[in-house]
Amino acid sequence: MTAVDDLSLTVPQGSIYGFIGPNGSGKTTTMRMIVNIFYPDRGEIRLFGDGRPETSTDLIGYLPEERGLYQKMTVEALLEFYGELRSGRSVKAEVASWLERLGLASRASDKVETLSKGMSQKVQFIATVIPEPKLLILDEPFSGLDPVSAEAIRSAILELRRHGVTVILSTHDMHVAESMCDYILMIFRGRKVLDGTLSSIQDQYGDDTIRVTAEGGLAAVEHLPGVEQIRDLGQVQELRLTRGADPQEVLRALVAQARVTSFSLTKPSLHDIFMRIAGPAAEEANHANA
Amino acid sequence: MRTHKILTIAKRDYLATVRTKAFVFGLVVAPVLFGGGSIAMSFLKGKPDLADRQVAIVDHTGVVAEALVSAAKEKNERDLFDKKTHLQIAPRYVFEVIAPAANPAGYQDQLLALSDRVRSKQLGAFLEIGKDALRPSKPSDDADDSEDSGLGTSKKANPDKGVSYYTNAGGIDETRMWLNGPISDGVRLARLAQLGIDIKSNQGLAAGVPIQGLSLVERDEKTGEVHEARKRSELVGFFVPFAVAMILAMIVMVGSAPMLQSVTQDKSQRIVETLLGAATPFELMTGKVMGSVGVSVTSSLLYVIAGTIAVNALGVAGLLPLTIIPWFYVYLLTDVIMLCAFAAALGACCSTPQDAQNLAIVLLMPCLIPMFMLVTVLRQPNGMLPTVMSLVPPFTPILMLLRQAMPNGVPAWQPWVGLVDVLAFAAFTVWAASRIFRVAILMQGKPPKLAEALRWAMKG
Repeated sequence: MTAVDDLSLTVPQGSIYGFIGPNGSGKTTTMRMIVNIFYPDRGEIRLFGDGRPETSTDLIGYLPEERGLYQKMTVEALLEFYGELRSGRSVKAEVASWLERLGLASRASDKVETLSKGMSQKVQFIATVIPEPKLLILDEPFSGLDPVSAEAIRSAILELRRHGVTVILSTHDMHVAESMCDYILMIFRGRKVLDGTLSSIQDQYGDDTIRVTAEGGLAAVEHLPGVEQIRDLGQVQELRLTRGADPQEVLRALVAQARVTSFSLTKPSLHDIFMRIAGPAAEEANHANA
Repeated sequence: MRTHKILTIAKRDYLATVRTKAFVFGLVVAPVLFGGGSIAMSFLKGKPDLADRQVAIVDHTGVVAEALVSAAKEKNERDLFDKKTHLQIAPRYVFEVIAPAANPAGYQDQLLALSDRVRSKQLGAFLEIGKDALRPSKPSDDADDSEDSGLGTSKKANPDKGVSYYTNAGGIDETRMWLNGPISDGVRLARLAQLGIDIKSNQGLAAGVPIQGLSLVERDEKTGEVHEARKRSELVGFFVPFAVAMILAMIVMVGSAPMLQSVTQDKSQRIVETLLGAATPFELMTGKVMGSVGVSVTSSLLYVIAGTIAVNALGVAGLLPLTIIPWFYVYLLTDVIMLCAFAAALGACCSTPQDAQNLAIVLLMPCLIPMFMLVTVLRQPNGMLPTVMSLVPPFTPILMLLRQAMPNGVPAWQPWVGLVDVLAFAAFTVWAASRIFRVAILMQGKPPKLAEALRWAMKG
């Protein structure tokens, strides 16, 4: 089975590069190849200029999707172990600083098994960033975190980026990808299907989306001419126009049957683009073509 | 390969093991379990079953039973009570001489009646001494009915045939074992009497001659004085080699068995991927193996120190062959490295602790097989089988050390050949295990088949 096929990407230094894609598309495999856990059958990976992965692992902080910590160790001892493993020196000062920063200083002497899930994830994140890496690879860093913990991790990532650290992260949260990432790469069935900034990706799809708020909600926008697909967001409906459809015609038809509160013509959201590529409709179309 | 990563992983694994209660408990319990059998045996040896040994004797010769009764009486007088405490310390032998059935028709009835008495526990056994017992036998006479094969084959009773011992007792029958001597003595004397030798005025004709084991005569290289041979100690000939081999096996097992669980645990708890983000699979495995080596060396030092104190306290320090201590450590290190690398590969192939439990017996085979062979090696240390097996790398450490610890030792070339074998095999094991480890460590689900694991080892 081919997990990742013919994938090329360049990650600019100091940027946040987001991997998106359905489960099993090849995001984790790509990350494992960058960290030198998996070896590619063909092609090559170069890090920090001409560096090969096997000689660069000490400069990379890797947070795997499947988190695991030695449960019987104390938080402090565990973090010092991971730090020393990567750097070969004592990292006591950095450990104390990061524990303070993420609100875990009081738990430094506690065993990992006594921590909540959110706290464990913060500890795992600290283990990834000690000592400060040049490249941070985070597989689903916000998965399972409550909003407070997620915000703490998000702030830490952004601060590291400000200090010149390059970040590659994978996420299923399109809002995270849109708001945090400088570049977005979408992998689907092992192949790259999107790569670029959010606006450059959206530009590929043009202004074919209308956001509407109208009396009657979903019922008001059903059966409008020139509308290919409706996404009901509750208070707002997102309409995708058929190719060549005139937005003014859609507006006229809508006003004729309901009172319209808001109407805006926009580029498609990342979520919409994702669904166009990997959603059920795209799957059906692929099957039909096959 | 980055040394600091290996040492950091080794240090963590070492401390994680030696700081646990299980390690301290294992240090104490393992010798108790291994030595427990011997201790229990020596304890129970002083607490024998003192119930009377009731044996009926049907003597068709008319002369041997009298000798047996006399021997039993002599033994009872000699061994029944402790000379100092006057407490009974041995069972009493009570023999009941039964006249043989008068006619052939009553013969089977008599055997059946006596068998019923054994079944109802009135008797422990009964003995039938046939007329032919007095006839000097040729080997061919006994070919058809020599010692049974242990399969319980039936044998037709015959009042004239040799000596038969009937019982339903299981296990090792001490009565039968003891009877061998008095019966043989009684029969020999009866045969001599038949030849007209006056056995009453020639007491001790049938007495056996004990063989005394002695060491070799030696010349002192400094003084030139010739030292007489000394009485050989069973302690030197049996106990010391046995104990040395058992201690090695025990430390190797205590040091290597946790590796399997450790790797499986790291894998099932998803710790391993984080580690692989910072170290290569080979560094990770080597660090873990080094940690286990440290645990084994710690255990061995504690046992060696405790053993040294014990032998000094017992005043038998001079009996220890000190020259094998360097070999002990060489074998310990190579065996632990070999088994730990093997355990790492096995652990990497497991997805759950249950998988690891199922494979634990495979891991311990290189220790268990030599332990099953200990008695064979102690009997014939330089026989073909012990020699060959002690040159087969997985078994070399325990078997070669056992043979080296025996008074006669082994030919000088054998330990060196064994060592080269073991070092080469240990290197191969680490190499192959690291390749399996690298492929298997992130795999989940059903463990791979043997052929698949071998393919990973060969192709990486």
